[in-house]
Amino acid sequence: MQPVVHFKNINKSYGALTAVDDLDLSIAPGQFVTLLGPSGCGKSTTLRMLGGFDSPTSGEIYLEGKPISHLPPNKRNVNIVFQDYALFPHLTVGRNIAFGLELKGMESAAIHRRVTELLSLVALEDHADRMPAQLSGGQRQRVALMRALAPDPNVLLLDEPLSALDAKLRQQMQIELKSIQQKTGKTFIFVTHDQEEALTMSDVIVVMNKGRIEQMGGPDELYARPRNRFVANFIGQSNFLEGTVAAVSDGIAAINWRGNLVHADVNGAAPAAGNNVTLALRPEALYCVSRRPEGRPSLNGRITERVFKGAHTALTVTLDDGSTLAVQIDPVALSHIEGDDVWVGWRERDAVLLAN
Amino acid sequence: MRTYFNDLPKTALGASYWLFAVYLALPLTLMVAMSFKDANFIAFPIGNWTLSWYGKVVQDKQFLEASLYSIGIALATTVSATIIGVWIALLVSAENIWGKAVIFALACLPAVVPGLINAISMRIFIRAVDIPTGTFAIVLAHTVHAVPFVVIMVLTRLRSMPANLVDAARDLGADPFVAFLRVTIPYLMPALFGGMIFCVLTSIDDFVRTFFLGGYQPTLPMLIFAKVQGGMSPEINAMATIVLVVTTAIGIYAEHHTRRSRS
Repeated sequence: MQPVVHFKNINKSYGALTAVDDLDLSIAPGQFVTLLGPSGCGKSTTLRMLGGFDSPTSGEIYLEGKPISHLPPNKRNVNIVFQDYALFPHLTVGRNIAFGLELKGMESAAIHRRVTELLSLVALEDHADRMPAQLSGGQRQRVALMRALAPDPNVLLLDEPLSALDAKLRQQMQIELKSIQQKTGKTFIFVTHDQEEALTMSDVIVVMNKGRIEQMGGPDELYARPRNRFVANFIGQSNFLEGTVAAVSDGIAAINWRGNLVHADVNGAAPAAGNNVTLALRPEALYCVSRRPEGRPSLNGRITERVFKGAHTALTVTLDDGSTLAVQIDPVALSHIEGDDVWVGWRERDAVLLAN
Repeated sequence: MRTYFNDLPKTALGASYWLFAVYLALPLTLMVAMSFKDANFIAFPIGNWTLSWYGKVVQDKQFLEASLYSIGIALATTVSATIIGVWIALLVSAENIWGKAVIFALACLPAVVPGLINAISMRIFIRAVDIPTGTFAIVLAHTVHAVPFVVIMVLTRLRSMPANLVDAARDLGADPFVAFLRVTIPYLMPALFGGMIFCVLTSIDDFVRTFFLGGYQPTLPMLIFAKVQGGMSPEINAMATIVLVVTTAIGIYAEHHTRRSRS
């Protein structure tokens, strides 16, 4: 299938500062794609270049196969939901949504129908005559979304649109955004620094750092199989163990780590014995028991910190050699308290090797 | 004693406020009162009251012509000062324009240069470039004087405008001109309105510049000045009262309007 958007070798620099570094990214139509990364990683610049508010220093952007880098924003069939919504304060909700339709030269009866239809999609039919200042944050968000969808763009761009909302409303809007995306079948490109938002809504997450793509894939794939340390740490939390490969068999590497033999999935790589590698391990993939488990490799340590977090309990286990591991356990497991001697282990497939 | 001293600043403040209010209002009140006096000279007591001076003023062809002339100049000034002022404000608010500070300083200079100096320099200038004294020269001078106020008002409003509004309009299909017309101008409306009222009022009020640059046709202040030369009479009071009422009404309307649009 032809990608709806293709960034081809895009570079963007501001003087000596490189914002986007040789980006090559294809986006398939109808997907909810999230550009995820810390501030300054180039995700917003990428979005603005697609919207037409920044032009690439080199490279070309294709929309439905046609180069668009030279076109002004008003000639591109993409629309943006801005971070602060940017609703026109002097126009009613209805006129805000109609703005793009009027400029397209649509006749007023058709505009009215379209506006009503869009407002009913977010249950705001009776708010058409309100001014933006009279709306709540969530309502403004919905109006901004409908205004951007109104002209029927190829791609909808969303620039951290949920960051101004409180936590509860943000979660609700995540679900709503996803359902609107599925109902309309549009390609959504969503920019955020919030990994939870990315995991909740996306079909595809593009993790960016320093203007480059670190990894791209489905939320579960990125979570379970992070390719490098940055991704493993940016999405969720990870323990990192650095050691030397002792042997590889059947996709599982045995690794010497501080005198212990630990195991991990090779994660698509082909390490050889003697290689220095890093292994990533999710806290919730670790188990923690009071007696040495029979026939399963495990490490001995002592619980030095125990924090109740509601849905789980976070433990810090200090191993015999002084290194620490973050472990998550069931909150009803009352047995493990600070100072307890424990054995920590994991299933071989739950640990992954990272690319160096 | 103690309480008396404690309250003293408050009492003094209140009293001086009222003194000031009386000082402001008394001359105006006297002027208005005298316009109703049924006699040829201005002095107390008033004795008989009349509206005849107003009747005279309203039928006074000179007064009507001067009023129309003043209003015409005010409107022309407002239009040109608003266009130039908005243009300069947009220029100065744009992010990367060379010599921004200089443009702004030059545009605002006429607000601080004394009116007399302004008028004399204008007079020398129009002589030098061969512009005759008269309507055009007056409008030119009034515009120069009004522009800084428009610039400052529009600039203040522009600075509070979210940067994304124009981007949003562009994104939804507006070219730069349409975005300016349909988003920037409506956003600037309160400032434009205030600036325009200000232009009208300063232009109608101006005497010095008009005096130096005017031709044979008198504006309202010039007419009143000429009449005063011939001796005060309640007719002048009536004229001034009409001007007072009209300008105050414009001022109150403007204030009310901005308050409403702000809330």
